[in-house]
Amino acid sequence: MLEFIVFFFFAAVAIVFALVVILHRNPVVGALSLVASFFALAVMYVLLDAPFLAALQVIVYAGAIMVLFLFVIMLLNLQHVAEPNTRPVQQFLGYFASATFAAGLVYYVSKYAVLHALPPTRFSTSAQAIGERLFEAYIFPFEMVSILLLAAIVGALMLSGKAAVAIR
Amino acid sequence: MIPTEWFLVLSAILFAIGVCGVLTRRNGITIFMSIELMINAVNLTFVAYARLFGDLHGVMFVFFIMAIAAAEAAVGLAIFISLFHHRASIDVDEANLMHW
Repeated sequence: MLEFIVFFFFAAVAIVFALVVILHRNPVVGALSLVASFFALAVMYVLLDAPFLAALQVIVYAGAIMVLFLFVIMLLNLQHVAEPNTRPVQQFLGYFASATFAAGLVYYVSKYAVLHALPPTRFSTSAQAIGERLFEAYIFPFEMVSILLLAAIVGALMLSGKAAVAIR
Repeated sequence: MIPTEWFLVLSAILFAIGVCGVLTRRNGITIFMSIELMINAVNLTFVAYARLFGDLHGVMFVFFIMAIAAAEAAVGLAIFISLFHHRASIDVDEANLMHW
């Protein structure tokens, strides 16, 4: 019973803060709301028997990636950027299309997406199980991701560093 | 035990909110945050199905998606900094250098 209460509370938190992200004009408020939404999703991972992923979610997403977002928002001083409402028709179409998309997605997911024949099973997502899987079956993607991160560092420096500004 | 459908419905709603943000906002950073929201909705779906099937592959996918999202955020935000240097704005309507 308790876990249902926790689920509904944090589902509501995740959805409300996600709405704040897309509706609020101030990107700083948006970024902090996104952090709150990510924390609620970390609770969802705990409910799904994946506490290791919940820790990763908090450390990597709420910690590292969102700090990067906030840093860029502060660096570019975007707190007071006005967004004039120049295209009301397109904006209305965007809201309408995404509402239709949401309704359709929820309808089909709740109707078709789950194989009812399968009994729910408990599975172990300890750090040990994930680490063993990571260094046996997934060793190649793991190394590729490390190279990708290196490439991303170099790319970010190329795009935002002094050299890029000088070329301009 | 909470049914898997509920997690899938939550994930669908969060994904649709992300789509709405991408379609209706013009602030580049906000659009980028909406994309992160969609990535997280997909992650939730992966973990929900991983628990349903009782196997670890979905969890491994989420692990890699998180690493790739970090790389993507670094490069994307660098692109926005570069755009800001060029146009003094991160309104995506201003980013029309390749406009035909």
